[in-house]
Amino acid sequence: MTKVLVIDDEAQIRRFLRAGFELHGFTVIEAENAAVGLKTATMSALDLIILDLNLPDLEGSEVLERIRSWSNIPIIVLSIHADEHEKVRLLRLGADDYVVKPFGISELLARCDAALRRQLRSTNRDPVVKAGPLAIDLVSRAVTLNGKRVQLTRKEYALLHGLAAHVGLVVTHQQLIKEIWGGHASNIQYLRILVRKLRQKIERNATRPELIVSESGVGYRLNQGETGAVPGGRGVPSNNHYA
Amino acid sequence: MSTLQERRILRDLTARFPTHDNAEAIVRHSARWLNVAAGNAIPIVATLAMVWLATISLVVINYFVPFSLVALIYMLPVVVAATQWGIVAGIVAAFAGAAAADFFFYPPLYSLWLQNPQDIVDLLLYLLVALVTSNLAARLKNEAVALRSREKEIGELHAFSQGLATCLNSRDLIFAVQDYLSNTLRYRAVLIATAPGDRGAFDNAAVPGEIRREADKLIAAGAVGASAVLDPRSRRTWLVRVIAPEILGYGVIAVELGEEPGERTAAVAQRVETLIEEAMVTLNHLKVKEAIEQATINYRTEILRDALVGGVSHELRTPLASILGSCSVLNRLPAVVDDRQAQALVEAINDQAGQLDNEIRDLLNATRISAKGVHPQLMWTDPTDIISAALKQKERRLSAHWVTLDVARDIPLVNVDSILVEQALGQLLENAAKYSPAGSEIKISSRCEQDCVVLSVQDQGSGLTADEKGQLGRRSFRGGRQAAGASGSGLGLWIASTFIAANGGSLHAESPGPNLGTTMSLRLPTAPADARELVDALND
Repeated sequence: MTKVLVIDDEAQIRRFLRAGFELHGFTVIEAENAAVGLKTATMSALDLIILDLNLPDLEGSEVLERIRSWSNIPIIVLSIHADEHEKVRLLRLGADDYVVKPFGISELLARCDAALRRQLRSTNRDPVVKAGPLAIDLVSRAVTLNGKRVQLTRKEYALLHGLAAHVGLVVTHQQLIKEIWGGHASNIQYLRILVRKLRQKIERNATRPELIVSESGVGYRLNQGETGAVPGGRGVPSNNHYA
Repeated sequence: MSTLQERRILRDLTARFPTHDNAEAIVRHSARWLNVAAGNAIPIVATLAMVWLATISLVVINYFVPFSLVALIYMLPVVVAATQWGIVAGIVAAFAGAAAADFFFYPPLYSLWLQNPQDIVDLLLYLLVALVTSNLAARLKNEAVALRSREKEIGELHAFSQGLATCLNSRDLIFAVQDYLSNTLRYRAVLIATAPGDRGAFDNAAVPGEIRREADKLIAAGAVGASAVLDPRSRRTWLVRVIAPEILGYGVIAVELGEEPGERTAAVAQRVETLIEEAMVTLNHLKVKEAIEQATINYRTEILRDALVGGVSHELRTPLASILGSCSVLNRLPAVVDDRQAQALVEAINDQAGQLDNEIRDLLNATRISAKGVHPQLMWTDPTDIISAALKQKERRLSAHWVTLDVARDIPLVNVDSILVEQALGQLLENAAKYSPAGSEIKISSRCEQDCVVLSVQDQGSGLTADEKGQLGRRSFRGGRQAAGASGSGLGLWIASTFIAANGGSLHAESPGPNLGTTMSLRLPTAPADARELVDALND
């Protein structure tokens, strides 16, 4: 059973999160403020933390930093504001991903799923990342689409690798630029064009991307699509499909 | 108070100053003659009378007791005359005293001849002492007079300062200056105000032509300071001074100082200068005070608005987040999944709560725009991503429509705040869904024109009349034909056009006519990318 700690001062939000998580086989522990949350995080063996940024006793980002100082447990941040700089800052502080209120439970579960999977992969050392019809072998660098080999340039592969290492989670523009161009100064226009080229090779319809989706002002996310189960949780289908 | 208002007040003031009439001029003229007479004739007569009085007293005393210090007694009229009427009276008293002593008391008596050389020395000594004394006494008198007038002047200025201290705004101040100049100092003062762009506003005929020309020159030169001008026709001197150009625009005050330039007019000019300086200092204080008060009001308004926005944002959107979140869980509960009726109800709650959240977001956006304007965070973005994000945002709203995409493959990047443009495009999609029948096509297309990227949303809905087209994009506009059928605050399109304008773009509406559909387009500026550099960057 996957144990999730929900730190949020709004009782109604905690209630629906508990219902949603329990419906999908998680065990939920609630904390109504930062103090209780931090205490619980140190005392219990947890698999995942859901952290609301707007807490009465301590800034959510402060809580995030404190937890990160001793643990690399997956943390998903909940926020009512959609400020891009704040999102980038939280990701840099160590949040695995964020969800902006209001959100549906499926969106949150998809993020949790991705974060748990990444955690699992780092312990399992499974080299193959699957994202819908796409499979990326991080060791042999082989990329297949529906079982067929896809030829990528070195930079296209670097981009895909950067995204695949955090499949299902958002990766910031700066992080990607650093991974692709290294220390060389580069700009976001190159990244945009590179993404476009990669999409033309792996997307069904490059003008309506489903695999590499943009998170405005923050970065990109490689959608994991419909995949198998994680311990304790049932697989969560991506809802990012259009007619 | 605005500069314009102040200018108007200054102009009004010109009518309120007292003007001289002939009778007053005559009174002043004769008073000056009396002054001349009082300054010479009366003191001399009085002095002679005093000397006469001293002589009679001495004769009487001498009759009973022989008296040798005659000259000493004659010092009394000298001191009194000199202190009372000045040096001339003092000298007259000294000589009259010497003559009287010689005539009545020094032998030979009743003659101006002197027998005894000792007496000659006595009288000369008396004359010397008398002259020195009268000089000193006269100087003392002058100083006392000067002191008294200075005291009066200081008293008046003090009263003026106190008057200034009670001024609450620029208007009061202007009246205080006017009051002081005309009622206390009794100068004829004309306040002329005109801005550099508003010259020739000399509507007061009381100002002589020469003075007007000088004022005009000062204004034209944008000069700061004062100059004294002699009006050749009336032979009277005027002080023309620019008052606080930084505050009142170019206000000019013309003060009639009196006759031809001289020490007196210079002193008066100095006084007027002092008073205007003081008034300007007060005016500056007032301006600062007014500015501080205004800033405080603005600050409070802002805090209130922020509190309201923050409060609404938290107090309304948090419960809505719970409702929407709970709906998403309900939707997955087996009991609901298997019950179509329950499912429809959950959908209804979800849709309405979503709608409410959108409306609140619109209100918050509108408040923020009004309070702070829009500050886009520009970033090069792929228009395809903007379309995808807007589509995802409005996924549920568009579920009943047939959405088609016509996106150019190699469309240039745009340098915009993608969040703002997504919201604007989302609003166009929302409107298209709202004003066109379910099942109809909504076509989203992107194309490149010379120096801009055009994103458009075409629907087959109710279209626009020419009148509606003109009003589109106004705050709270809602087409009268649609108002009954669809919900909404009408803020959406206004917010969208504001967001697009902040990104350097524009919003356009086209419609062949009512019920023939609408095409809404966003034009966003772009710049051609440096192809060679790009190839370098993307090569391995």
